[in-house]
Amino acid sequence: MSEHVQKPIVFEDDHAEPASVASSTLTFLFLAGLACLAMMIGFTDLGPAKVWVSLGVASVQGLVLTLFFMDLRHADKLTWLTAMAAVFWTFLLFLFTLTDYLTRHYYAF
Amino acid sequence: MATNAHAEGEGRQPIVAHHFNNIRQQQASVRFGMWVFLVTEVLFFGGVLCAYAACRIWYPKEFEAGSTALNPFIASINTFLLLSSSFTITLAIRAAYKGQRDGLRLWLASTIVLGTVFLGFKAKEYYGDYEEGLIPGPQKTLVDDVDATGKPVLREVSVFAVNLKHVLEHKNAKAKAISDKMTWNERDRTQMFFVFYYSITGLHVIHMIVGLGLLVWQLILAQIGFFEPTERHVYIEVMSLYWHFVDLVWIFLFPLLYMAGHHSMDGAF
Repeated sequence: MSEHVQKPIVFEDDHAEPASVASSTLTFLFLAGLACLAMMIGFTDLGPAKVWVSLGVASVQGLVLTLFFMDLRHADKLTWLTAMAAVFWTFLLFLFTLTDYLTRHYYAF
Repeated sequence: MATNAHAEGEGRQPIVAHHFNNIRQQQASVRFGMWVFLVTEVLFFGGVLCAYAACRIWYPKEFEAGSTALNPFIASINTFLLLSSSFTITLAIRAAYKGQRDGLRLWLASTIVLGTVFLGFKAKEYYGDYEEGLIPGPQKTLVDDVDATGKPVLREVSVFAVNLKHVLEHKNAKAKAISDKMTWNERDRTQMFFVFYYSITGLHVIHMIVGLGLLVWQLILAQIGFFEPTERHVYIEVMSLYWHFVDLVWIFLFPLLYMAGHHSMDGAF
């Protein structure tokens, strides 16, 4: 009779208790505060800087949401690699598309 | 030998599927699967936003005018609704983890309500845009104009351009100033901004509807006790990853679509 052999765990153990109510509330309040800031920026005339300031605030919001609400901070290395792959490929998508479309008015000779 | 993890949950299917060694491996796989799916979603929205970026850099005046014509107040309310729904779904995960059946149902239902109200406001916003005639289309009309020598002429322009001019002139002084500086060709080209606006927010709405469908399904599962083995909280968790992603997309749509123009608190609500 063959004895059952436990195979090694393929994935890194990424178990973590879900965020506490206090922690989730704090994250929500922080995100809501940043949303208020985004609104204020939207109703202010900052000229060409407006889009960059707005995107900066949105990026901070996105980072907080990903790290805390999506719990990336407790994720295993494979999940981090996956999330970073999304950022990297999106960067390439924008880089190659915009370097083409925004340089078409330059002549090659 | 059956381990606790392979034990049957509530007399139905086993908690751990046969192709996994244990519950930890299964939970890690489920999470990883959703993250890989989200990578495809990032690139999906990334493609549209990349096209938006190229066109906005080419035609900044048209995009500014288009955004100014939108209703920023509904979009602001919707931002807070989505953030709140991200909060409530996080509470749902915790309730499932702790085995609090009533709490789980309460927070799932709250998330569904917040998401549905978001869609209600979105429908109101679309209807407002429709009533103002801010719909790109091929319809043309004739308007009084002057040629290069100042001689009065009749010019054929799109109905959209006429509607945009009307909306901007009646919005506020800043919007009127933007409209006054635009040529009819530029007003015509503002249709491009609205193509992006309807495409991107439309895709976002479709994602919301799919998310709401999944939430209703999970609420039904919670009702019949599927999540009673608390190891199954991971299904709420991966669903929340999708829901948070939809929120994340909105966080970027808000400044790019609604706040790209000039807005004033005059006439708010």
